[in-house]
Amino acid sequence: MPTSSHALEAINVSRKYTRRDGSQIHALTDVNISIQEGEFVCIVGPSGCGKSTLLQLCAGLDSPTHGSIRTKGTPVSGPGPDRGVVFQKDSVFPWMSVLHNVEYGLRCRGVSATEREKVAKHYLHRVGLTDVVNAWPRELSGGMLKRVAIASVFANGSDVLLLDEPFGALDYVTRHKIHDVLLELWNESDRAKRTVLFVTHDVDEALTLADRILVMRGGKVVDNLRIEHQRPRNDEALAEPSMIAIKLTLLEHLGIGHAHRFLEGVKQ
Amino acid sequence: MTLLARARNRDRLVAISVFMALILGWQLLSYAFPQEIVPGVPMVPGWQIVFTTTLKSLSLYWPGGWGFGSVAAGEEQSYFYAFLAIVYHSGATFLRLSVGFICGGLVGLILGLAISWSPWGRRLVNLPIQFMRVLPLLALIPLFQIWFGLSFVGEATFVAYAVGAIVFAAVVNAVGNVQLVFIENARTFGANRWYLYRTVILPAILPEMEAAVLLALGASWGAVLGAEFLGAQSGLGYILVFSRDYGYLDRMFLIALLVVLYATFSYWLAMTVFARINRWNKVAR
Repeated sequence: MPTSSHALEAINVSRKYTRRDGSQIHALTDVNISIQEGEFVCIVGPSGCGKSTLLQLCAGLDSPTHGSIRTKGTPVSGPGPDRGVVFQKDSVFPWMSVLHNVEYGLRCRGVSATEREKVAKHYLHRVGLTDVVNAWPRELSGGMLKRVAIASVFANGSDVLLLDEPFGALDYVTRHKIHDVLLELWNESDRAKRTVLFVTHDVDEALTLADRILVMRGGKVVDNLRIEHQRPRNDEALAEPSMIAIKLTLLEHLGIGHAHRFLEGVKQ
Repeated sequence: MTLLARARNRDRLVAISVFMALILGWQLLSYAFPQEIVPGVPMVPGWQIVFTTTLKSLSLYWPGGWGFGSVAAGEEQSYFYAFLAIVYHSGATFLRLSVGFICGGLVGLILGLAISWSPWGRRLVNLPIQFMRVLPLLALIPLFQIWFGLSFVGEATFVAYAVGAIVFAAVVNAVGNVQLVFIENARTFGANRWYLYRTVILPAILPEMEAAVLLALGASWGAVLGAEFLGAQSGLGYILVFSRDYGYLDRMFLIALLVVLYATFSYWLAMTVFARINRWNKVAR
């Protein structure tokens, strides 16, 4: 029986890698996190802090050296359609049309052709890609490819979504637009909210999206910040004192707090 | 006319000019070296000989049948019998080539995919693949003859080996090059191993396979002629050997021309098929 209703848990998770020369890297050390169903959690941390490793473990693409990952109380032993992943690199299959890409997960599970086309077209409409349903991925821009990837995981119906710095390569405007698309889909009214674990190195991105921000450093979770501010959070919302206080804390953790002391003035 | 169309026209014009120059060059060579190696056959046979006497002489290789007599049975040499001879011997070569190519290609593909199933498989074949690459293909013909005899099966198997070795090595290599993110993506969508192979690995390796298949096609033409040199009783390679034994340089030249024609056509066919299969990879970015 599931002992907790947590959508996603990491219990005493450690992950060690052995280098070629035999020395060991401790990517994660005794990490404990628990995420409620429907919660939008961002993980922020400097590069090399273990945030992507943690996400890989949650996805089941890698397994912990010690400890366990659980979804709804069940230990994770491999990847599965209950946890959708949006990757940092372009993961859209270039040899399938946009529509076939979005249908892929449903096709893996033998959903009928008419049903999966209906679902896929619904989500392509929601991400604003109605015009390119039959296009090849190569004909799309980087931002559009991310939309296809997002439509694909949502169409697959996963309860848990894992996003690994998905928008890192996008420009400012495109990133803002795609944040709106993601939050709208997350807020779907006709079903329970999905649980999101979103890895990013972009502090503003985390502030815009998250219910809660976990800060990681040196393979450990070092802070846990709740953001109460209502959505949508535009640039003005990010400039409010409560948000700036959180931002300063985050920058402090990233080791560049001193360079942003002037923000203290904005706080008053 | 667009710039692109103009460039394409210019390329075509250059290609045609080079082709004409080659034909003309051959003719000039034939005037420069008119010595005959056997009566009526000069060292460099000009086109006026190749397309008349030589072509007609191919009648000799028509064994008779399909309701038609043969030169051996007393008929006169004619362009019609020459045509029958070309159809008959080309057909024999095509059959060996295509059966060998298809069997070898399929076996190479399936074995390559099977070996790539696990990292251990790839490690195991790493060294043998290097051997296969440097093994001189034509030197193996006598072995195949002893193993399989002077039969259709022996010749087709030899072609299959040549094609299979190239395709196998290319598949193992290409599977190793498939981007990890595509495999991980498919697995998180719930794809099982079989489905992953069918929908991700196979399409992902096809662009790399195009070059390998063209290479295999070239090797298969070499292999089929090589196999026919040694004892086959039909096929273009058989005519080549027969002509060499009697010093009919002009016939060898004509058959070589035919092979170039066929090989070019087979290349074009393969490229057309791959352009269709890999059209997702060709669209402009």
